[in-house]
Amino acid sequence: MKESHNPKARKKRTEYIWLNVLPDDLWLNVRRGDTLFDVLQEAGIELDADCGGLGKCGKCKVRILTSIKPPSSDEEGFLNQEEIDQGVRLACRTQINSDMVVQVGETEIGTEYVQILKSGHRPLFQLDPLVKKQFITLATHHKDEGLSDFDRIKLAMGPDYLDMTASLSCLRTLPQSMKETEAHGAAVLHEKHLLDWQGWGKLAYGYGLVFDLGTTTLVGKLIDLSDGTEVAVISRLNGQIRYGSDIISRLQYVKDNPNGLARLHNLLIGNLNRITRRLVEVGGLVTNDIFIAVAAGNTIMLHLLLGLPPDGIAEAPFAPVLSDGMTIKASDIDLQLHPEALLYTMPMKSGYIGGDLISVILASGATEQEDKIILGLDLGTNGEIFLGNRKRLMTCSAAAGPALEGARISSGMIAKDGAIEAVGFEKGNLQYRDIANIKPKGLCGSGLVDLIAVLLQLGIIDEEGLITTPRMSIAQGLAPKVINKNGVNNFLVAPAEESYDDKPIFLTQQDVRELQLAKAAVAAGIATLMDEMGIGVEDIDQVYMAGALGNYVNPHSAIRIGLIPRIDTDKITSLGNAASTGASMALLSKFYWQMANELIDFIEHIELSSRLDFNEYYVEHMDFTREEPLDVHHEEVENVMKTIAVGSVMTRDFPAMSSTMLAREIANMSRDTGHHGFPVVDEEGHLVGVVTLADLASCLRAGNADLPVGDIVTKFPLVAFPDQSLYEVLTATDEDYGRIPVVSREDEGHLLGVLRRQDIIRAYRNKLAKFVQAEA
Amino acid sequence: MSEFQALSEAVLKGDIKTAVAETQAAMDAGANIQDILDTGLIATMDEVGDRFSKGIIFVPQMLRSAKTMQECMKLITPLFQKGGVTSKGKVLIGTVKGDLHDIGKNLVLMMMEGAGFTITDLGVDVTPEKFAQKTQEIEPDIVAMSALLSTTMPSMPLTIEALQNAGVRDKVKIMIGGAPVTDKYAQEIKADAYASDAGSAVTKAKSLMGIS
Repeated sequence: MKESHNPKARKKRTEYIWLNVLPDDLWLNVRRGDTLFDVLQEAGIELDADCGGLGKCGKCKVRILTSIKPPSSDEEGFLNQEEIDQGVRLACRTQINSDMVVQVGETEIGTEYVQILKSGHRPLFQLDPLVKKQFITLATHHKDEGLSDFDRIKLAMGPDYLDMTASLSCLRTLPQSMKETEAHGAAVLHEKHLLDWQGWGKLAYGYGLVFDLGTTTLVGKLIDLSDGTEVAVISRLNGQIRYGSDIISRLQYVKDNPNGLARLHNLLIGNLNRITRRLVEVGGLVTNDIFIAVAAGNTIMLHLLLGLPPDGIAEAPFAPVLSDGMTIKASDIDLQLHPEALLYTMPMKSGYIGGDLISVILASGATEQEDKIILGLDLGTNGEIFLGNRKRLMTCSAAAGPALEGARISSGMIAKDGAIEAVGFEKGNLQYRDIANIKPKGLCGSGLVDLIAVLLQLGIIDEEGLITTPRMSIAQGLAPKVINKNGVNNFLVAPAEESYDDKPIFLTQQDVRELQLAKAAVAAGIATLMDEMGIGVEDIDQVYMAGALGNYVNPHSAIRIGLIPRIDTDKITSLGNAASTGASMALLSKFYWQMANELIDFIEHIELSSRLDFNEYYVEHMDFTREEPLDVHHEEVENVMKTIAVGSVMTRDFPAMSSTMLAREIANMSRDTGHHGFPVVDEEGHLVGVVTLADLASCLRAGNADLPVGDIVTKFPLVAFPDQSLYEVLTATDEDYGRIPVVSREDEGHLLGVLRRQDIIRAYRNKLAKFVQAEA
Repeated sequence: MSEFQALSEAVLKGDIKTAVAETQAAMDAGANIQDILDTGLIATMDEVGDRFSKGIIFVPQMLRSAKTMQECMKLITPLFQKGGVTSKGKVLIGTVKGDLHDIGKNLVLMMMEGAGFTITDLGVDVTPEKFAQKTQEIEPDIVAMSALLSTTMPSMPLTIEALQNAGVRDKVKIMIGGAPVTDKYAQEIKADAYASDAGSAVTKAKSLMGIS
C-alpha cells in the first residue's frame, strides 16, 4: 500500500533529504534542518514527551545510527556516556541536516527464533496441495508442426487441460525455459492455470509457506509439498506491537490515524518478507521458488494483511469487511515470493471468530468426528471456544481480557526470557521455572495460573479469591510471604534479591481479581455453549487447547482455578501452534481448504454479550471452588484408601529420564510435557532417583545447566510397590510428594510406573462414586 | 451504628435471610425507619463499596450484598411512601453506543441504588440521541456512561455533544467509567467525574451532588 513517500523516487532538490526510521523501515522525505521530533510526530510515530518537545523532560530518546554530532548542552543532563557513545539523542534537540537512519523504541522486536525441524510432523491425510507440479514430456513432432509452445504443453497434459490458461510472465519466459528443459519439463499449476514451466531439477515437488499472524507473534513455516513435512519454522514478535500490544488498541490506531492502516499493513508485509527470506535461506531456496502461501490469523490481522479497513469490527455489531477465504496474487500485497505466486487467506466467521480459530478447528479434527464431542479452546487475549463435532459445531468468543497473557497483572509479562512459566509446591516451599532459566522478571499466563492454583490448594487464596495468611500446617513456611499493605494482602513470589531487575515480584490482590474476571469469562463461555448443546461435562470426550496460554498451561492448574471444567486430564491435549497446523492442512489439501470454507456456514456462533444467561454464568464463575484436601487419617478416607492397590492406579507410561541427560534438557522436557518431576534411570534402565522442579531450579540458577541429571537427582527416593495399598504409601511419610516411583518387589531397581498425586485423587473419587452407587 | 450491628453484618456477608429478619426485628422494635436505612443499610453499603475498591471482596460478594440490601428495602419502602422518602438524586445510566458490556454498569447501578439514588437504566448500546432524549424527559441530576472497549470510548464525547445540542448539558453532571477509561480522559472530554469502580462511583456521585 502507498503510505506517502517512495524511497526510490528520490528528489534531486537538496533541501529535501531522507530519514529512515527503524524498526518500521519507514522512509520519510523531510526538509533539511527540521527537528527529528517534529518530523516523527508528524509521521504519527509516538514518542514519550511530557514537555511537548521543549527539551525539558528527556523522554524522547532515540538512537541515531548514522554519524551524529556530540549532544547539545540541553541534552547532556539526560544522557549518560554509554548512551552518547551509542548515538542516543533527544529527538526534540536533534536537527536533520543530512540523510539519517534513526532507531525508535525497543530493538528487541527484531529477535527471531529459528527452528530447523529434522523430523517434521508428517500429516496422515491424502496430499492434494493448492499448487502442484506436474512432470511432462512434450511430443517432439508437435514442434515441427508449428504448434504454439503453450499448445504443445496443453496437448502433452491431456484432454482435461485443453482449456488451461497461463500467466503472462510464464509465457514471456517460455521459449527460453523450454529451450533449457527440452522435452522434459514440469508445469507449476494452480488449478488449470500455468504459473511456470521448469526443469525436472532438484525441486521435486516444490515448497509452500504457511503464516500464522498472531497479535503478538508471527510464525512462518516452510512446508515440503511433496510429503507435507515442515522443513523450518521461524517466529518473531509482531512488529505492530509498537502500535498497541492488544488487537483493540491497534484497531484504535487505525481509526485515529489517516495513515494507520497503511502503516500497520506495510509493517506486517515487511515482517513477513523477512520471515520468508530467512525460511527459504534455511531451506536452501530462493523466494522465486515459492508459488503458494496460506495465511491464518484473527479477523483483524487478516484485514490488516489484505489492507482492508477493520474499523467495522471496533463497535457492535462488529462487522468485518470480509469473511470469505481469499485467493489473491501475493504480489498484490507486495509479498516477495515468485511474481505469479498465490496467497490464500483463511476464511473467517465473524469479527471475533477469525481464520485462526477456523484453522484450529481443522487441526483438532472436530469436523471429522461423528460421535465424540470435542471442546476446543484457543486462549489468548480473547478466549475463543468451540464445542461439538461434524453434526453440530458451536463457537463463541469470551472477552477474557489480556490477563491470561500477563497483561494488566502487576508483575505480568508475555512468555519470553525471564517469565515464570510454571510454579509448584515442593518440600514446603514454592518452586518455579522461568523461561531461559535466568533470574525471574515476572509472571506469564501459565505461571500465573499455576501460582494461583497452588495458592488455592494451600488455602492462601480462599474460594472468594481473597489472599489470606495460611492456616494449613503444610503451608506455614509461606506465611512470611503474605504481606499486608493498607489492609490488603499481597503474595511475594520472589524478593528483590532473587529477581532479574532487583525488584520484588508480587502477586497482588488486584492481580487475583483480574485473573478471576478472565477465567470467569472463559468458563462462562464454555457453560453457555454446553447449555446450548444440551450436554454436561461428562459428555465431553476430548479437550483441545491452543493459543499462547493454551499450549503451556498445566491442565491440572487450569482445572483447579476453574478456567476449564473438571475433566479427566487424560482427555486434555495441547494442539501446539494449531492455527498454523490448520493452515498447513489447507495448503496441502484442497479438501481441507474446501472444508474450511464450508465451516463458515456450518458453525453456529453464539454472541455472548447479547445473552442474559451469560452474565449470570459470568458472575457465578468468578469465585473459585473449594477443594478439601484429602486427609488420609480421616476414617472414611482411610477405609477407601485401604482398598485401592498402587498397581491398579499408577501411571505406567510416565516418561523416565536417562541419568546422562543434561539438566537443561530435563528442564525442556518439563516445559514440553508439563510434568514437574521425573524418575531418572541409568543405562540399564534401573532407577537412580527422582529429579524435581526444585532440584532443577537450584541447579540451573547455580549456572550448572550442563550437568548430567544423574549428579543432581535425589537418590534413594521413597518408592512404592504395586501390591501396596494407597493407605500404606500415604502414611509412610509426612512429606507431600507430587509423584512416587513404583518399583517391582523382586527387583527394586526395576521401574514399573509412577504414582502421581492426581492418580490418588482420581482413584479415590472413582472408588467413592462406586461406593455411593452400590449403596443406592 | 451498634444498634444495627447484626443487620450490618448480614448485609456485608450477603446473608439475605438474616438481614431481612433483622430488618423486620428492628421495625417491630419500633426503630426509626430512616435510621434503619441510613445507618443499617446505606452505611453498610458504603463499607461494601470501600471493600470492593480495595479488592477485599469481589463482584459476586458485592452483588450478594446489594441483593440483600434490595430485599431489606422491600420491607421498609412501603412505610416511606407515606412519610416521603428523600432520594439522594436521580441518575440516568447506560453503556454507550457500540458497546454491549453491562456487568460493570449493573454493579454501579446496584451500588448507587444501595446508596439511596434513584436510577433509570437505559441498558447497553445506547445512542447519544437516546441519552439526550431521556435526559430531557426525566431531568436527572447525573448522567453516567460506561464503555468497556477503547474503540467505543469516543461515543462518550459524542454523547456529551448530543446533550449539549439538546441544551441539557449544563443541567446535569456527567460521570464516566469502564476498564479503558481514565481520569485524564474524563478531563479531556469535559466530563464532570471519573470513577474507577462501582464503589468509588458512589463516592463520586455523592460529591457531585454535594453530599458526603
